[in-house]
Amino acid sequence: MSSELPRTLEQYRHAVRAHELSAEEYLDETRQLIERGDPQVKAFLHLRLDAARSDAQAADPSSPLAGAPIAVKDNIMMAGERCTCGSRILEHYVAPYSATVVGSLLAAGAVVPGKTNLDEFAMGSSTENSAFFPTHNPADLSRVPGGSSGGSTAAVAAGFALGAIGSDTGGSVRQPAAFCGVVGFKPTYGLVSRYGLVAFGSSLDCIGPIARSVRDAAIMMNVMAAHDPKDATSIKRPHVDFEAALQPTLAGKRVGIIRELQGLDVQPEIAAAMETARKAAVKSGASIVDVSLPHILSALPAYYIIAPAECSANLGRFDGVRYGLHEGGRDMTETYSRTRNAGFGTEVKRRILIGAFVLSAGYYDAYYKKATSVRQLITDELDAALQSVDVLLTPTTPTTAFRIGAVTDPLEMYKADVFTIPADLAGGPAISFPAGKDAAGLPIGLQLMGPRWSDAEVLSCANVLFTALGGES
Amino acid sequence: MFCGCSTAFGDEPNTHVCPVCLGLPGALPTLNAQAVRLATRIATALGCTVHEVSEFSRKNYFYPDLPKSYQITQFDRPIATGGSLPIVTERGARSVRLTRAHIEEDAGKSMHAADITLGGETLVDFNRCGMPLIEIVTEPDMQSGDEAYEFLRNLRRLVRWLGVSSGDMEKGAMRCDVNVSVSPDPEKLGTKVEIKNLNSFHSVKRAIDYEEQRQAQCLSGGTPIIMETRHFDEVQGTTTSMRSKEASNDYRYFPEPDLPLLQLDPTELESMRAQMPELPWEMQSRFERDLGLSPYDAALLTEERSTAEFFQETIALYDNPKKVASYMETEVAKLLNERGMTLAQTRLTPESLAGLLTMVEKGTVSNTASKDVLPMLVDAGVTPSEAVKSLGLEQVSDTSAIEGFAREVIAENTTQVEQFRSGKETVLGFLVGQLMKKSKGKANPKLAGDTLRRLLK
Amino acid sequence: MAMIIDKETLEHVASLARLEITPEEEGPLLGDLERILGYVAQLTSVDTSAIVSKRPAMTELRPDEPGEGLTRETGLGGAPTMRDGFVVVRNVMGGEDE
Repeated sequence: MSSELPRTLEQYRHAVRAHELSAEEYLDETRQLIERGDPQVKAFLHLRLDAARSDAQAADPSSPLAGAPIAVKDNIMMAGERCTCGSRILEHYVAPYSATVVGSLLAAGAVVPGKTNLDEFAMGSSTENSAFFPTHNPADLSRVPGGSSGGSTAAVAAGFALGAIGSDTGGSVRQPAAFCGVVGFKPTYGLVSRYGLVAFGSSLDCIGPIARSVRDAAIMMNVMAAHDPKDATSIKRPHVDFEAALQPTLAGKRVGIIRELQGLDVQPEIAAAMETARKAAVKSGASIVDVSLPHILSALPAYYIIAPAECSANLGRFDGVRYGLHEGGRDMTETYSRTRNAGFGTEVKRRILIGAFVLSAGYYDAYYKKATSVRQLITDELDAALQSVDVLLTPTTPTTAFRIGAVTDPLEMYKADVFTIPADLAGGPAISFPAGKDAAGLPIGLQLMGPRWSDAEVLSCANVLFTALGGES
Repeated sequence: MFCGCSTAFGDEPNTHVCPVCLGLPGALPTLNAQAVRLATRIATALGCTVHEVSEFSRKNYFYPDLPKSYQITQFDRPIATGGSLPIVTERGARSVRLTRAHIEEDAGKSMHAADITLGGETLVDFNRCGMPLIEIVTEPDMQSGDEAYEFLRNLRRLVRWLGVSSGDMEKGAMRCDVNVSVSPDPEKLGTKVEIKNLNSFHSVKRAIDYEEQRQAQCLSGGTPIIMETRHFDEVQGTTTSMRSKEASNDYRYFPEPDLPLLQLDPTELESMRAQMPELPWEMQSRFERDLGLSPYDAALLTEERSTAEFFQETIALYDNPKKVASYMETEVAKLLNERGMTLAQTRLTPESLAGLLTMVEKGTVSNTASKDVLPMLVDAGVTPSEAVKSLGLEQVSDTSAIEGFAREVIAENTTQVEQFRSGKETVLGFLVGQLMKKSKGKANPKLAGDTLRRLLK
Repeated sequence: MAMIIDKETLEHVASLARLEITPEEEGPLLGDLERILGYVAQLTSVDTSAIVSKRPAMTELRPDEPGEGLTRETGLGGAPTMRDGFVVVRNVMGGEDE
């Protein structure tokens, strides 16, 4: 059975519907993999394998996901399950309701094997900021899986799930997908509901699918993309079948390469992968266009003002009054400080402090207000550029996965988000897909970005390149 | 404002809660359409500029009854600016200008254990956390506690008039903070002091009066006024300094990312403006000016919209505003008081009241008898004719019948007849009374008097 | 060159955010924040004078109808102290905690 185990969601679904395999059987196999491998990978914070088994038994093969195991990042609420956000402040917190997206996935037949590890409150690029333990990259256990959705990408890469959902604020779905060698998609902001995603940067956060193939990501998007009246930033869009919209070629497509990013220091193998992708694009019928985004390099600093600002307010609710960790003090002020001090890790504290600073009297105009203007400027430039091309091609990350503990300077960690951040600022769709390996055998990821609401287009173009570069089919 | 929880008052604590109003992780706010409509209605009535586009902001601070540790409010771009509310006090009529009006969510309710033996605890109830609020800020136009009192009374009248709120401070439907400053220089405002813990209109007046004196005393003594927040002590009627803290809280306002801009439909705004009912003070002036009612009557009749509309509908059928006003303020009001009911709760209608007053005018029923008819109209909702008939109160205005009674009275009361004939006018009253007795109170008294007088000539 | 964030400012900001900075944390934190804030301050040189903010507007508002709520148990089951249905906290005076 194992040698013929489906490797993608699409293959799995086909097998289940053809009665070659049951959801239960598949879950049993997956369980074995988890029990054997997760003690080393540590992708999961909590497992619910017995409950998952019952869910699998009850799964309907004709449903879109047919009982497939889909992991959920532990900052997305699932009723009855713990939701720690990788933080001590929520270590024992049990979700009293499910995120809209989780509800949709469950209704579509998904089976959740467990909640995955993350950088605390989604702040980080390595999953080393989890208060509990770091996750290890299945491609090389001494290295990070990326972050903040490192647990989700590791789980998919290691075969612990056929797909997963993560959250992407500055690249937290795409970057770990690149490091782990899987597909990670950030939809257009507003296409997928945020209700039930514990907020980090409210105007940036997106829930996105993580999968082994682009087609699988499209299948998941068919379930996840829906207007949600509970989320005021959720936008009503005409229905799209993302899977059916996948085209086999790039004929007539214009692929843009961003001039201002060419000078950045990028690992040679990644630069080489870019070249390979360019050639594949041309071979598939695309034309390559040089595109200028004069202020693209201001995206990082703008992000590192806006995201902390929003997070400083979003994390205010963790005060030990209604839920979560509570450390008493002599008065209320002390109670708040003690609770939050004990509950939050260093990176979270750093970002809250930056956030409070850039919003405070005397600094608001120069920092926060300025950053939002720069954000608009970058968005305008991207929008303009995306009128002359269909998609933009970039590396996802400047390097492949680094060793656990290797990057200790927060600013250095931040700067690695240079390729992923622009899409979060502008709100458009962006995907990371595997594009080979480096000399050490570590996965390389490349990124495609499109204008807002071109999610189907981005998935389609990515699928062509993914397939051309040897991806799972 | 941002969730679907009930705003019922007085239920078991923390039973009307949800992820949004509890500030649970992952919860998101969604804006209540009706709250926006009601706020727009108030702002329009107050003559504010209602902004088609407005924005929500986060106001960040920590307090146990504020679940998210920020309040969603409107800072930079409120829904309305400008506007005014007229007031009338002993000083005369003036218009209090408004700075702005904005919508926001309320926090939960904290109850502080005043009794130290309870261990210095605060109890928090999140039931009405998230209740929609409209905050109206005035310019520093008011000059006394009385003016502030009148402002609040008129504002309360308005919000009730528009059906937006009960305006009851006791039920938490309205609350008020004041800023008071005293200055020796009429051109320059003094340092302002904020006063909190004002639980009634009366407290507002008392607090302002006290603070005015306190500041005046300080200034004349050479002590500068400190900008601070003071607590009003209900029992003593004084304001006291709260725990002093150096800088005021930095709320770090920024635009609420979870809520896109609020865009109002200009057509709906226009139709709201067009459909705005006559405002209470406008109606009040009109009653004085065009109907000749006294200021007292006009004010009383325009206290509640239902009363004013009842009055208007009644005078449309019986065109004597003063009589209707008087009858409503005396007989009708008396009955309502006795029954502990409002006009709307009774079965009295403008038609039945107008009908009754018409019958009195025509002489079909005496004024006195009408007071017996009224309860039936109020309780049973029958027509005046039905009521009069069933009570057998038709006033006898049949001249021959009255003449018959009159002749009997004259025959039976020769002494008084002599007295009248010799010039004692007042004795006519006695004779009329006798006639009324004979007719069992049903005779038209005026007709009785005239008939007797004629026969006694 | 003048520091963007000094010890006093850090303490003030920490108190706004209800975070206590221990003496051991202070030095490294100040260093990190100084560098991060220094890095993001480069935005001041970007010309944004012609930029117009383009926030979208809400497409529909929520009707004023009762929604599905949580029971007290489900919503506040994790609260550290409750009594008679109320959430209990240390006594606070007046309006906002300062």
